[in-house]
Amino acid sequence: MTRFPLGLVLLVLLSLLVYLGVLHRVLDRLRLNDRAALAVLVAMIVGSFIDLPLPVAGVTATVNVGGGLIPLGLAGYLIWRAGTPLERWRGILAGVATALVGYAVGSLLNRGLVEPGGRFQWLDALYVYPLAAGAVAYLVGRSRRAACVGAVLGVILFDVFYLVWLKLSGVRGVVAIGGAGALDAVVLSAVLAVILAEVVGETRERLAGGPALAGRPRKLLQHLRRPEVRREEGYRDGTPQ
Amino acid sequence: MGRRSKVWLAALLLLAGVAAWYGFRSDARRTLGPPAGGEAEEHAGRCITVVEPGGRIVDKMARALVPGDEVITADGRHYRVREVRGDTAVAQLLGMDARLLAWDQELVTGGIPVQAAGRTPEVAVYHTHSSESYVPSDGSAFIPFNGGIYRVGEVLTNALRTRGVGVNHDRTPHDPHDDNAYVRSRKTAVRLLKGNPVAMLDVHRDGIPDADFYRQRVSGQEVSQVRIVVGRQNPRRDANLDFARRMMAYANRLHPGIVKGILLASGDYNQDLLPTALLLEVGTHTSTREEAERGVALFAGAIPYVLGVGPAPAERPGQPEWFRPVTDPGARQAGVWRALALLILVGLAAGASFLVVSAGGLRQARERFRDLLRVEFGEFFRSPRPRRPDRRE
Repeated sequence: MTRFPLGLVLLVLLSLLVYLGVLHRVLDRLRLNDRAALAVLVAMIVGSFIDLPLPVAGVTATVNVGGGLIPLGLAGYLIWRAGTPLERWRGILAGVATALVGYAVGSLLNRGLVEPGGRFQWLDALYVYPLAAGAVAYLVGRSRRAACVGAVLGVILFDVFYLVWLKLSGVRGVVAIGGAGALDAVVLSAVLAVILAEVVGETRERLAGGPALAGRPRKLLQHLRRPEVRREEGYRDGTPQ
Repeated sequence: MGRRSKVWLAALLLLAGVAAWYGFRSDARRTLGPPAGGEAEEHAGRCITVVEPGGRIVDKMARALVPGDEVITADGRHYRVREVRGDTAVAQLLGMDARLLAWDQELVTGGIPVQAAGRTPEVAVYHTHSSESYVPSDGSAFIPFNGGIYRVGEVLTNALRTRGVGVNHDRTPHDPHDDNAYVRSRKTAVRLLKGNPVAMLDVHRDGIPDADFYRQRVSGQEVSQVRIVVGRQNPRRDANLDFARRMMAYANRLHPGIVKGILLASGDYNQDLLPTALLLEVGTHTSTREEAERGVALFAGAIPYVLGVGPAPAERPGQPEWFRPVTDPGARQAGVWRALALLILVGLAAGASFLVVSAGGLRQARERFRDLLRVEFGEFFRSPRPRRPDRRE
């Protein structure tokens, strides 16, 4: 970028900073503390430069550490740490649904001679995945973690489907799972899906007068930050009395 | 989660899995054939006609247009699509594009200044729709994984290299020809970005049936015109559009008629990755590839100057800063500064809304902001800083 004038350099730097800042805030809200979120962010950036080859005959397949493995690990961690089995299923369901919606919209509906790849295109394919993940996560319980897991699994599943598709087609193609690193659709979708779940979910919750507490499992309630909620449920400082 | 719900969920997932498997299997079998509408559509093409409310034809393209898309014609008329009815898009004339005309005017009175860059600069060229081909020359509108568009990219590459510009021409296929190809080509674009290119060009062709619409006699040669496409759903839209205007103004001054126009269409087209990223459409599938190659070669002649790269004839003294190459540190970067301001404004607005919503009201948001200032800045010089509690959700 050194050859660009100040305006262009600033634009590139600022947009990167905004993106990374938002990414950090998103990670911060996913059962990670500030420090862990920063560590994941740094690992993602460094990992963006590392591609690991996958042993698939006939197809040049790689997986990027920053855009593929780390988000996948994060999704796995979120599924593992899910408060209830239902939450676990929500994330997996959101992932499968996101991949299916992405495939249906981006590959079945929008294909053919018409540019940019289909006659029904009004939204870039890049934004279809977070929308699908956010919508599914909202429908199954307004969960931002399900949105993140859904987006990550959805886009990675789609890449895996592409690999299978190439194998079935018998042509020599290239698959780079999470290949664009921190700028890949995997990470971008996760960020946008969490923001969507956060903004829509939180707004709705505020309008409804705060989170509903009745009938919710204790494991979920103990993570709520509001002290009155913890008191009501017999918790103090997040620990059972 | 009840036993019944689990059974339903499992059945749903199983069904989705089976549907996906069959979908992919049948899709894979279709790979080597023409996409979607089959042979009939391949040869007939599709055409969306952009018209003024009075019915006068403004433009034609095989592209899904939506209200809000914009067209800037080669003569500087700026239109915005108001409504789309079937294959017709009605566009309102917004007026003459002042910025494009200003560029053009500078070219009339000014010379052709070129500024050399320090190192050998590099332009990245890739093809999101790698199967796109030209029916008269290639025999098909689509050649899977190895379309005629690669040859057009090669001609562009050679034309730039002979002008002293380095080119990284990436031949990674992103088949099939669908919208998801942009998600796949994003990985290629980011890989190319690691080479620190001064511009990134995604080379395509259009799909309208009428080759004559793109056919033009330019600088004594019969060529296919080039259309520049800028994504509207892209945070760097203004900067990309500024670059597109410069390209069209200069290319059309150098070889009148070589650029058909600029289209601002819904999409990102991976242009968020670089302020100087453009999508080019060279001719249509019914053009001959040779016409497209001649067209792109003429277009390539304008790139080094606009980027300020390549061999450097003497710079005209007193050249207005308004008209310096895009990579000149002294060049005016109106689109870029506007994009920067917009980014900052949107960032602040989003942050403020987020704060109000998550805090639960304006008053709480103010308190939280005050706390933030006190913790982050008020105790900046104290050491050690108070430990902040984990923000577990």
